[in-house]
Amino acid sequence: MNCHELELQLTPYLDGELGADERVGIEAHLAGCSTCAHRVEVERHNLSMLRALLREGSPSAPSRLRQTVFDGIHREELAARRLRLVRLGAAAAGVALAVVGANQQYRIHQLRLYEQDAAMRHARQFPLEIRQPGAQAIEAWFGGKLDHPVIVPQFPNATATGARLLQVRDKAAAYIRYDARRPMGLFVYGDDHDVDIGSKPEVASSHGYNVVSWREGDVVYQLVTDLDEEDVRALIAPQHTAGQTSPPPESLPAVRMQPASLRH
Amino acid sequence: MLGFNHTKTTAQRIEFEALVTPWLDALYASAVRLTRNERNAEDLVQDTVMRAWRFFEKFERGTNFRAWLFKILTNTFINTYRRSTREKSLQDESERMSVESHFFSADVTDRAQNPEEYLLERVLSDDILKAIDALPIDFRMVVILADIQEFSYKEIAEILDVPVGTVMSRLFRGRRQLQKQLLAREGESTPDRTIDLNAWRERKKLG
Repeated sequence: MNCHELELQLTPYLDGELGADERVGIEAHLAGCSTCAHRVEVERHNLSMLRALLREGSPSAPSRLRQTVFDGIHREELAARRLRLVRLGAAAAGVALAVVGANQQYRIHQLRLYEQDAAMRHARQFPLEIRQPGAQAIEAWFGGKLDHPVIVPQFPNATATGARLLQVRDKAAAYIRYDARRPMGLFVYGDDHDVDIGSKPEVASSHGYNVVSWREGDVVYQLVTDLDEEDVRALIAPQHTAGQTSPPPESLPAVRMQPASLRH
Repeated sequence: MLGFNHTKTTAQRIEFEALVTPWLDALYASAVRLTRNERNAEDLVQDTVMRAWRFFEKFERGTNFRAWLFKILTNTFINTYRRSTREKSLQDESERMSVESHFFSADVTDRAQNPEEYLLERVLSDDILKAIDALPIDFRMVVILADIQEFSYKEIAEILDVPVGTVMSRLFRGRRQLQKQLLAREGESTPDRTIDLNAWRERKKLG
């Protein structure tokens, strides 16, 4: 290698870009050529100074930039998420409209909400306002408190032990506590057929409770219990089978729906 | 916006931010040298990160993220900020060839007449930054990538989409021009090329 050839390789040599063979060739020349050796020394020094000065002088990103640089991405993500939800909602609604009447869907959804609310309020175990066993006393206590007369149904192997006023969603209700194998709570409220409940009892589960819902004319009953579904069905309608047409007014043979004052 | 996949998850966003955050200072420092303006540099970094996010699915995990990110920086700079200033470029193929074959030989003569001192002992980082900002854009980009970011020739070639030979010649000429500039500054106050170190230091203190 001569001095001219080394000159051509100087930049990549100093930048560490040459392979082992090429490096060896250069170092062999430098060992025997003091001019080139000095030249390389100066260049190497200048290059390392250049880089040190550049590192020292390079500004850091201002904190303002650090904070906002990802904001655009966050905003896009939120907007995209909102857009996805809107599209999903529109799609779901479209299916509902196509398959079932929108109103029907709404009513079924509303019933779920009433069931959930009844279960939750029963679970809360609010203190009773009247603690007196017996349907008669409780019926008397409710006299005039609600828009409809309150009948305390009799369930087999269960005793009404107390009551209070309670809301189920927007409805002012009578809440009646029963002692049975497991404690039960019954909600009674007036309803202008807002809620999709028929005279045939429906059992649903919510929050770990079973909720039985049925209506008598304008009055809705919702019984909340943590008995399992089989026991619940046995409780309210041991002989009741699906598909029975036009059941008698008392469609709950096991439950006595006469006002207590008229019993005995 | 439209046409890009909008189902990117939060996990991907977090991954992206973790990959980008360590390079924010480096991106900004390079952006300042490219745009020569702090406000524009912030905008350039912002644009770069947004574009990197949009292309993030195309990034192959495990490959060189820094080079990928800086490629987006330089492309964004070229497309957005250079439209107004059509600086003279050395992209011309024939010019590149002649430069490569001759640039060293010219230098050898130069050297013989002006024995080099340790030039940069006497230079402040401010002077260096001003000198870099004065370089033509093609040299400046290579000097930024090689000497500020310390990318390899191969990485720089990928980032700028030019051959390695072009990277080498631009780097050599860019550095050469830097040194000439720094000497010229000294030359203004000291007509003869011998630099009086103490006198220079005194001047710097008062200036």
